[in-house]
Amino acid sequence: MRKNEISHERQISREAANDGTDELASQTALDVDELVVGYPSTDELVIDGQTLAVPDGEVTALIGPNGSGKSTLLKALANRLEPDDGRVLLDDRRVDSFESKELARKLGRLSQQNTAPDTISVEELVERGRYPHQGFFESQTDDDAEAVDEAIAMAGVDHLRDREIGTLSGGQTQLVWIAMALAQDTDVLLLDEPTTFLDPRHQLEVMQVVEMLRDKSDTTVVLVLHDISQAARYADNVVALKEGTIYASGPPEAIVTDDLLADVFDIDSEVIETEHGPVVVPLDPIVEPSQNETNESEMLQRGSGSPGQQE
Amino acid sequence: MVELFDRLADRRAAANRWYADSTLTGIALGSIVVLVGATLLQVSFGAFPLPLEEAWGAVFDPRILFSLEAWQAFLLGADIPEWFTQQQHIVWNIRLPRILVGVLVGANLAVSGAIFQIITRNELASPYILGVSDGAGLVVLVVLTAFSELLPLVPVLAAIGGGAAFLLVYIIAWKNGTSPVRLVLAGVIVGTFFGSVQRALFFFIDDLNTVMSAQAWLSGSLLNTDWGEVRIALPFTVLAIMLAFVVTKELNVLALGEETADSLGMSVEKMRFAVAGIAVLSTAAAIAVAGLIGFVGLIVPHMVRNVVGGDSRRLLLGCLFLGPALLVGADVGARLALSPIQLPVGIITGLVGGPYFLYLMRKTENLGEV
Repeated sequence: MRKNEISHERQISREAANDGTDELASQTALDVDELVVGYPSTDELVIDGQTLAVPDGEVTALIGPNGSGKSTLLKALANRLEPDDGRVLLDDRRVDSFESKELARKLGRLSQQNTAPDTISVEELVERGRYPHQGFFESQTDDDAEAVDEAIAMAGVDHLRDREIGTLSGGQTQLVWIAMALAQDTDVLLLDEPTTFLDPRHQLEVMQVVEMLRDKSDTTVVLVLHDISQAARYADNVVALKEGTIYASGPPEAIVTDDLLADVFDIDSEVIETEHGPVVVPLDPIVEPSQNETNESEMLQRGSGSPGQQE
Repeated sequence: MVELFDRLADRRAAANRWYADSTLTGIALGSIVVLVGATLLQVSFGAFPLPLEEAWGAVFDPRILFSLEAWQAFLLGADIPEWFTQQQHIVWNIRLPRILVGVLVGANLAVSGAIFQIITRNELASPYILGVSDGAGLVVLVVLTAFSELLPLVPVLAAIGGGAAFLLVYIIAWKNGTSPVRLVLAGVIVGTFFGSVQRALFFFIDDLNTVMSAQAWLSGSLLNTDWGEVRIALPFTVLAIMLAFVVTKELNVLALGEETADSLGMSVEKMRFAVAGIAVLSTAAAIAVAGLIGFVGLIVPHMVRNVVGGDSRRLLLGCLFLGPALLVGADVGARLALSPIQLPVGIITGLVGGPYFLYLMRKTENLGEV
């Protein structure tokens, strides 16, 4: 019964997405078409036949529980993972048909964890973002210097310019990495959990850079966020993933609802409308409804008996 | 308040940057001073008693400096002109080429060490980490035990053996691509195996002199090097180091890790293999003429990075100066310290390298990350 509901709901959202693409075909930055992706080391598919249109010049947030395939989808968008089936189109061209540097001039991706040598300066790190714009024997041009200056200013790390990476805080480091991705000067930017592990102030700074990118340079931003309220506040579109499928996608008001969060995240939550957008208050994890009574009580007993064993 | 601290820190960092640039110049100048000093000692002293003024008279003898015939003999392997006096022979054919070989070997080991440290993203990597030394060592032992008629070809064969071992390491490490950790592990596998075979082969050598020369080769020595070694090493050294400076931009991007390099549009596997190939060429040029000299390729890039920072171009430049200085300096000790007995220079570099790492271990907390 419940399964039917889910597939029905997904059907609606897919129809809605399709309508969108038909109307605004030219305004889609990235087209995901029946995409199937897995990792080479396992046979299991992580993304199974999903279709998605990422609108041009807007901020699209991917939300979903751990292991739902958000990062995998992002890697597939960036041609980091080869799809088993289906395709990803960037400007109506398959991403795997681009020459690697050519793709890197159009699409940038910042992964979850980045490591730079401790002993290089902020400016040097940001300069490396210009790599796809430079030929093999070319050194830095005026264009490169300008792009680096702009990126540093936009990310608000001008005051850190000459510092060594090893001396920065986590939040500062993240902004510097974003500056590097900005220097890449791409039409599309993919960010994998850019705000996770940051303090509130640096989270706000990161999200402001994202807003600025959309408003001032018409960049299409796709980002993975764990903070649902943040997704609701800053994104134009929210895509909810569950177990490798796109459960629903649409504007935040339509996606960030009590019911949907219950289905996608298995949590009881309350979504409060505020003047700053919807705010999600997670209340309780939902215990799997398929389990029968005895199992449930057993689990609870075990859980209370040795809390350390619970993940 | 935070802003203020940041601004102060930035001011300090800017000063550090200026300091880094000036320290690169400092490294270069200091290295040149050491080199000149070592050259003075090497030319002036030795087993054959030669008064200072005679030795230096021979060095700056215009008849040799501007003699086409002499330079043809040095660089192209033509016959040594008959008019060379004994003093000129000792200075020009024994003492000076040894210094020159030292310069080439030091530069090669330092530069290739720096490249391997970037590829493996490990500050403690050496030019020998991907099996090159073990392949070369095994070939040398095989030649000494079984194919002594090939002895004159040892330099070239050793370099080829090193290259082959490197390829083997790559094949072992490959599984849907490689990673720094897999490469290092594969290097350990190949090293352990080849090392055992190599030590086993020692038992099949009857002649004590052969054992001695094998030992000297494995410890790394500049003993008996002359213009022949210069002619072997020079072209490959020039080629490898020029290539290394061509790819500094690529090295900078590789140092950011695979994920980032990939998203910046680099074909990581191809580039890593190509860059490693350059470093292997450089290492092979050094091994071919001097055997397995340890520690230079490990400590020089480390020292330079500590002083000038992690930018590849500055790092390689610094290595290009400090490597020769350290090696030629160590060779002074190897040749003159226990005169008339000459030690392999690799022993001296090891004696210098050990305490340096002890000092580093005491001083820094997170040793090991690039």
